[in-house]
Amino acid sequence: MSLAQAEAHELELEQPAGLWKDAVQRLKRNPGAIIGALLISMFVFLALFADVITSYGPGEQVGSLGGNGSPPSSEFWFGLDKQGRDYFSRVVYGARLSLLVGVVSVSVGLSIGLVLGSIAGYFGRWVDGLLMRIIDIMLAIPSFLLAIGLVTLLGRGLVQVMIAVGATQVPLFARLLRGGILAQKESDYVLAARSLGAPGPRLLLRHIIPNSLSPVIVQATLSMATAIIEVAALSFVGLGPSQPGLPEWGLMLADSASRLEQGLHLVLFPGIAIVLSTLGFNMVGDGLREALDPKLKS
Amino acid sequence: MLRFVVRRLLQLIPILLGVSILLFAFVRALPGGPAIALLGERATEESVERIETELGLDQPIYVQYGRYVRNLVQGDLGTSTRSRQPVLEELKQKFPATVELAFAAMLFAIILGIPLGFLAAKRYLGFLDNASLFVSLIGISFPVFFLALLLKYVFAIKLGWLPTVGRVDVTRSIEHPTNFYLLDAVLTRDWEGVVDVLKHLVLPAIALGTIPLAIVARITRAAVLDVLNEDYVRTARAKGLDPSVVDRRHVMRNAMLPVVTVIGLQTGLLLTGAVLTETVFAWPGMGSWMLEAIRFRDYAVIQGGILFFALLVSLTNLAVDVSYAYLNPKIRLSR
Amino acid sequence: MSEPLLSVTDLEVRFKSRRGTIHAVNGISFDLRAGETLGIVGESGCGKSVTSLAMLGILPRQAYPADGSVMFGGRDLLRLKDQEMREVRGKDIAMIFQDPMTSLNPILTIGRQLTESLRRHLKMDKETAREEAVSLLDRVGISDAGDRLRSYPHQFSGGMRQRVMIAMAISCRPKILIADEPTTALDVTIQAQILELLKRLVSEEQMALILITHDLGVVAGVCDRTNVMYAGGFVETGATESLFATPRHPYTAGLLDSVPRLDASGKQRLVPIPGTVKTLMEKPTSCAFAPRCMYAVDESRREVPPLREIAPGHHVACFNPVPESDLPQGAITEAR
Repeated sequence: MSLAQAEAHELELEQPAGLWKDAVQRLKRNPGAIIGALLISMFVFLALFADVITSYGPGEQVGSLGGNGSPPSSEFWFGLDKQGRDYFSRVVYGARLSLLVGVVSVSVGLSIGLVLGSIAGYFGRWVDGLLMRIIDIMLAIPSFLLAIGLVTLLGRGLVQVMIAVGATQVPLFARLLRGGILAQKESDYVLAARSLGAPGPRLLLRHIIPNSLSPVIVQATLSMATAIIEVAALSFVGLGPSQPGLPEWGLMLADSASRLEQGLHLVLFPGIAIVLSTLGFNMVGDGLREALDPKLKS
Repeated sequence: MLRFVVRRLLQLIPILLGVSILLFAFVRALPGGPAIALLGERATEESVERIETELGLDQPIYVQYGRYVRNLVQGDLGTSTRSRQPVLEELKQKFPATVELAFAAMLFAIILGIPLGFLAAKRYLGFLDNASLFVSLIGISFPVFFLALLLKYVFAIKLGWLPTVGRVDVTRSIEHPTNFYLLDAVLTRDWEGVVDVLKHLVLPAIALGTIPLAIVARITRAAVLDVLNEDYVRTARAKGLDPSVVDRRHVMRNAMLPVVTVIGLQTGLLLTGAVLTETVFAWPGMGSWMLEAIRFRDYAVIQGGILFFALLVSLTNLAVDVSYAYLNPKIRLSR
Repeated sequence: MSEPLLSVTDLEVRFKSRRGTIHAVNGISFDLRAGETLGIVGESGCGKSVTSLAMLGILPRQAYPADGSVMFGGRDLLRLKDQEMREVRGKDIAMIFQDPMTSLNPILTIGRQLTESLRRHLKMDKETAREEAVSLLDRVGISDAGDRLRSYPHQFSGGMRQRVMIAMAISCRPKILIADEPTTALDVTIQAQILELLKRLVSEEQMALILITHDLGVVAGVCDRTNVMYAGGFVETGATESLFATPRHPYTAGLLDSVPRLDASGKQRLVPIPGTVKTLMEKPTSCAFAPRCMYAVDESRREVPPLREIAPGHHVACFNPVPESDLPQGAITEAR
């Protein structure tokens, strides 16, 4: 007898719970997921209460203009930037922007990807063939370049940037859901339901899609991290949202990159903010993957 | 095996055609269209008209596309509006720079990542395992440009060990038969040049290679853990083979299958990272070239650059598929 | 009688798990003589596979032998250094596993996997090992052996793969062959062929065989002696014939009653044993079978019954063995 079998025996003795209840239980026991959730909560908190937490506005000039800003002090925790703005306020307001960008672009990628993936997976045949070829073409272009191209095309407003970043995530979600649907379509329970005469669309909406969703949810969490980094990267190369003075972490990095010698703090704080926020989503995503994967259960 | 390679090569054609359609449509969707793309923003109205007739923009769209593809196939990627140079000529300079950087980064990631992942798996749940898991998680969450800035600050600016920018010292002249500088220096037996090129390569390669390193280590760990639980590993142990033989012959060779796939999937990410790393280290490759092109709306360069990136990604995927098939007899022998 | 070839005494194996220690094997003892065939029978999860893995020193990482000894050739295998144990594995004691589909390495040729032990233990050079491999495949009934060496496992059927596994196991002429459910994953028709092959090879080579299975039919056809295992302990041991004719432990009797028989009259029904095996989180302090047993007496719930000899060579661990008058066949049904 293997250990796996032994534990399977034990599991049988426990109260059966739903997939989700079970998953939450598993998440709670996963220290990584908890740390990740705490990190995310921290940034959500910063984003929601940015005006309460900070004493200055993100664009407010409180110190002298020009120069290299000033280092952190008891009054200005993260120091001042070159324009004499309170860097702490800017980093905190940056959380608001990054989370917004993450949520919107992932929603864009997710919804388009889900629709395309469901269509491809459900109809199959030439529809599937055509859509998958389009996805292959999109995947042949590195996502960042795709985003750059779209920004060039659409313009550099905040909304356009979010759409561009979201669009780069479409292929991933479409593939995931298509794969899930194809697997579910062949599964015994769907064949059984179909043989009992369950109508197709209902089967798709009530059974197939919900059962294919867990990898999508995991991916959506991980994609939040990707989106935050990607927008920062766009800003870093000067192709991010073009609104002047926007407290965007990538833009803040880009502004101080050329004068690394004089003010490391100007690079460090927004950089750490990006790392911690993406780390949070990656940790929760990993935890979710472990919690939702039925294969890892026994 | 040969048939397999040929078939996969043929499958590239529709994808590259698709990318070319996309790019064709892209330039036509831009404000001003291809005439502006060719002449730049400040073109006069009459020169626009002249060029539009010259380009045959009054002809049906499929004729235009046909001409575009014919030019592509003949290696004519157009002319850069900024430098007035054929795009292909510039590509010959920039492309090797990026490939050299990406290759060095991937080498760094693989050489360190695979042993690290393997050790972590062997010490499953031990200190090294947890430490490497944590470090790789941070690695995945680290934006490449932030890491590049930090490395540059510490090793180039503070410690002064390594140069901050470029591929080679500006005062040094080395010959460039291939434009792969390291190769060039070796070919011309310019050993000082080799050292200099390597010094310039180290920081960008580490910056670019760290995230792939984290990913390779994670995947290797997971793959080795999977394989260690396989029945055939138990069979190998039951034969009384030495642990090193079991690990090498039975564990690692099987664990490499998913790792190879993931390494291939990293290429797109790596090229994205290359664009950003090149920015930080003023590396004269495709990335900085294209960003420049976007800033100056040099559409011929953007088109040519993206097409080459797509080609690079597709060829790497092909190489990955082929090596996967080579490693896996089930696929190798089935075609 | 001659010295036993292998002597297992009070073997205990435990698993570390997140929920605590699992007591998989709780003090089993048995002897194996040269050329003898011994069956170990029990439900999945009773610890029979763990026993064999422990003897070979290839327990999974979480498991460890907690007590006892496995004497072989004057040495305790449980206390050998890793390197010494590797000399024993595959050479003196070889093993065949349950699932031939997963027990062969998918990316190495059959030839490579076959010659591995030959080169390791018998120090053969490549060419000699290859020739030996050809003759081994021949012996296990695989034709075109020379060509087959270049094949990969996925090109073989399940039965063929198990033949390859057997060829690998006997390649170094081991003194003991352990076969862990060697036919369970195979089609019924193939099962018989593989068992025949095993039987023939064992007698040709004078190997001792430990056949581990849940299938009483397999044991009946092959083994001289049979040990019935339940929850990590032997509940009944004896010559196969007498054990089948007069099973005295209620569990053995129950097992025999739950086997479909072709010669049974239409009216006779299969009688399943009620309940399931519980995982032991601590060393048992009572008869582990008691909760499922209709013969259980007060004593069964207070103490662990020791193995007692109730007939020459026939041992039972039970305070209230099935009376011989209740036997054979269907006895338990009537008692209910």
